[in-house]
Amino acid sequence: MTETVTSTPVPAPSDDAQPLLEVRNLCKYYGNVIALNGITTTVRAGQVTCVLGDNGAGKSTFIKIFAGVHQPSDGDVLLDGQLVKFSSPREALDQGIATVYQDLAVVPLMSVWRNFWLGDEPRKGFGPFRRIDIAKAKRVAKEELGKLGIDIRDTEQPVGTLSGGERQSVAIARASYRGARVLILDEPTSALGVKQSGVVLKYVVEAARRNLGVIFITHNPHHAYPVGDRFLILNRGQSMGNFAKEEITQDELTALMAGGAELRALQNELQAQLRDRSIRLDV
Amino acid sequence: MTVITRETRTPAEEPPVPIDERVSFRGPIQRLLVRPEIGALIGTTAVWIFFWALSDVFGTAAGTANYLDVAAILGIMAVAVSLLMIGGEFDLSSGSMTGATAMLVILLSKDVGEFGGAGLSLFIAVPLSFAFAMMIGWFNGTLVDKTRLPSFIVTLGTFFILIGAKLSFSKLFSGQVVVEGLNEADGYEFWSRIFAAAWVRNDHLWEDRDVAWTILLIAGAACVVIGVLELSYRRATQRNAKGLIGAAIGAVVAGAGFYGLLNGEGVGRNVVNALILGVGVLVAVLGWAMWRFAPLGRRGAVTFDNGTGLLTLLGLVAGAVGVIVAIVLNPDSESPVGLLVSDSFSRALFAAGLGIAGLVAILVAAGKLPIWTPLVGIAVSAIPAVGYLMTQQGARAIIFVGLALAGLIALLVAGRRAAATSASAGLVIELLTAIVVAGLAFFIRSESTSAKFRAELFTVMLLIALALACSALLGYLFDTRTGPDATADARGQRAAVVGIVLLVVATALQMLYTTAAENETASGVIRYRISILWFILFAAFGTWLLLRTQFGNWIFAVGGNKEAARAEGVPASRTKTTLFMIVSGAGWLAGMLIAFRLNSVQANVGDGEEFEYIIAAVVGGNLLTGGYGSAAGGAIGSLIMSMSTQGIPFAGWNTNWRFLFLGVILLLAVIANNYVRNKAAQSK
Repeated sequence: MTETVTSTPVPAPSDDAQPLLEVRNLCKYYGNVIALNGITTTVRAGQVTCVLGDNGAGKSTFIKIFAGVHQPSDGDVLLDGQLVKFSSPREALDQGIATVYQDLAVVPLMSVWRNFWLGDEPRKGFGPFRRIDIAKAKRVAKEELGKLGIDIRDTEQPVGTLSGGERQSVAIARASYRGARVLILDEPTSALGVKQSGVVLKYVVEAARRNLGVIFITHNPHHAYPVGDRFLILNRGQSMGNFAKEEITQDELTALMAGGAELRALQNELQAQLRDRSIRLDV
Repeated sequence: MTVITRETRTPAEEPPVPIDERVSFRGPIQRLLVRPEIGALIGTTAVWIFFWALSDVFGTAAGTANYLDVAAILGIMAVAVSLLMIGGEFDLSSGSMTGATAMLVILLSKDVGEFGGAGLSLFIAVPLSFAFAMMIGWFNGTLVDKTRLPSFIVTLGTFFILIGAKLSFSKLFSGQVVVEGLNEADGYEFWSRIFAAAWVRNDHLWEDRDVAWTILLIAGAACVVIGVLELSYRRATQRNAKGLIGAAIGAVVAGAGFYGLLNGEGVGRNVVNALILGVGVLVAVLGWAMWRFAPLGRRGAVTFDNGTGLLTLLGLVAGAVGVIVAIVLNPDSESPVGLLVSDSFSRALFAAGLGIAGLVAILVAAGKLPIWTPLVGIAVSAIPAVGYLMTQQGARAIIFVGLALAGLIALLVAGRRAAATSASAGLVIELLTAIVVAGLAFFIRSESTSAKFRAELFTVMLLIALALACSALLGYLFDTRTGPDATADARGQRAAVVGIVLLVVATALQMLYTTAAENETASGVIRYRISILWFILFAAFGTWLLLRTQFGNWIFAVGGNKEAARAEGVPASRTKTTLFMIVSGAGWLAGMLIAFRLNSVQANVGDGEEFEYIIAAVVGGNLLTGGYGSAAGGAIGSLIMSMSTQGIPFAGWNTNWRFLFLGVILLLAVIANNYVRNKAAQSK
């Protein structure tokens, strides 16, 4: 965790190496509702795999399978080439898969440091006297948040009093500090302003440079394209394609994401409206 | 406005440490106010003072033993219920659980053949009943977790199951709804020492008790003062040794005054000695501050804005009116005060007010009138009602205390406001407040016939006046802290905690030991039961568990946001089930304490008391919806409730009033807690 980019030679990400995480033909059904159907993609160490899609495309269901919240109805999940099945979030965490949720997964009434360490509290003492090492917990929480560029005033303050970006940073710092190998970020920029989004995107790249496999969920292709190495586009539970960066341009990505034909229809409609207005203005 | 500036800072002083501008400094009072249990602590103090003033027994060792005895069992349950409530669940079966384990241990230990008893030794029966409690807790927890039904409904089921089982089994085995004869069981001697021992105060003589008490009290007060000073004032970069000499001289003078007070005779000499004591304390405190703290740079002129001036005037007028009322009204009259015109007119007024209030409420609900209008009708009916219930004597006390308190609060607020703009103005108003308090002390002493007020209240009020005078001078001479200082925080808190512990030990000594002289005048045996010790241990355990352990962190998390906790790898189901088992374990402990104390148990013991546990937890600052609160708060809540229920008979009122009192306390506590919590959330 303390390694810096300069001191660690990062192996050039190559598609020949074994992927960190791989899904093949993943399906998820809720009763007769098909939430995901035949999704295939790979996540490599040191790379960012972006999962794009509009609302209701199945992005959240997709990542909750890696996080151990949901179990797949069909298809395989492979970690280091081994078939795995996570029956609880704990198991996924133990395998080094950490998730930062869209709904942030923080407890608003609890203090920053208690949230930071939730589920993995540092402890000292023996037997029945084992207790949280509060001094260490507070110090590390402040340091780790500082590394993200967020200077928390007082780690005792409830998370509920933080701004959206600060809450996000608590969750991201927590996931990265837990020694994750795969970091899943569920729409980390959707609730943020322009500047804070930039900070979070920088952190996405930073995490990949530390040789983590990053899965970055977003519905914003402008956020995804600059940081991503691989793009999986979902629409209504179906895969619209799984591309390496060199196989696709940003415009193609945007078009695909909205479902190309639909977007063209929308463009035509808008242009028609604009024409109407300009005519009226001329009169 | 002209501002007189006197620059006293030496140029050699350290450059100011860069301070995070987003952090507003929190003084010792704001620091306390963000704790969840602080509202309950203030409430406990208020209830204690109320019943101390009304009753001669309540404040003594006899009264203390009485309400602590009730608080113990209630408190053990309230602490456990608080933990469960923070974890986001309820247990309605907790009340009948206490009776069930008590009954079970008796049934298990009775002779074989006699009422179908199992004839087990208590060495087996007591652990077996514990296992039973664990099983019920596991059952509650697992059922709530697996079915995802509200715990309210699930434990309501368990509640009826337990009640039915208790009644049926006791009827089946003993033919009546009570089981008895625990004292005949094997191993009773051993277990009764654990669950039913008592400390008899009358048997514990200690002639030097008051000497130890005085020393501890003074040491404790000194530590608290040092702690508060450390938290309040900015440390100087260079300490001033002259101040330490001043502090030592002040302490010696204060000691001489105190010695004089203890050994002197006669009013005149007491006044002189008290003055010596007061001056000594003042010099000692100022000397100590001079040694450690930085002097204030700008003091400002004695000017205040209109609001502050008006507030000061209001405070003084309120105090004066209070004194005039106390002089005018007859202190001995027991006749009702409010029947102003005639009996029939009062009745008519009462009925009319009530009718109007009801009618107006309907119109408010229909959206025809503003929301506050029913209050007019309530006020109209309240005037004759209160007048009928209250004697002139009572009205005099209430009006005097109310006006005096309102006046003092106005003066204190005015003092703080003035000090915020100009230290000199603050000094004037704060000294004025100290003088008013001292004046009121002498007035109460001259008016009252009760020794309690003439001696104890008088002394306490003079000490408060002294503390106010000290605080006024300190605020004028020294620089208040406005920035963070971790060292000072740690030192100050440590000193304050040590001081509070010393004060508690001092009080405990008074309560636990007696002297030969006191024993002669004592009217009965004062017993402290071991349940009080269990209560203290359990409350300490609960607080430690919640605030210091991993499990405690999980309790907050599953109550605050269960899904988030689960996603972060907290075993939410296990945490909740364990919480249910802690509650039923506490029920077992309470059950053992009841069984070994009474040796017989009625089938309905504990039924319906689960709501009292929940009330105690809520009064103690626990959030009904989970995720926020404190175990110590539950313990304090149980103290408020037991003081209220036990204080009412001590005050000579009909015990039926206790429900009304409890209801009012519950509402006040919830509103106060809500207010404090919102304040705490705002103070980032």
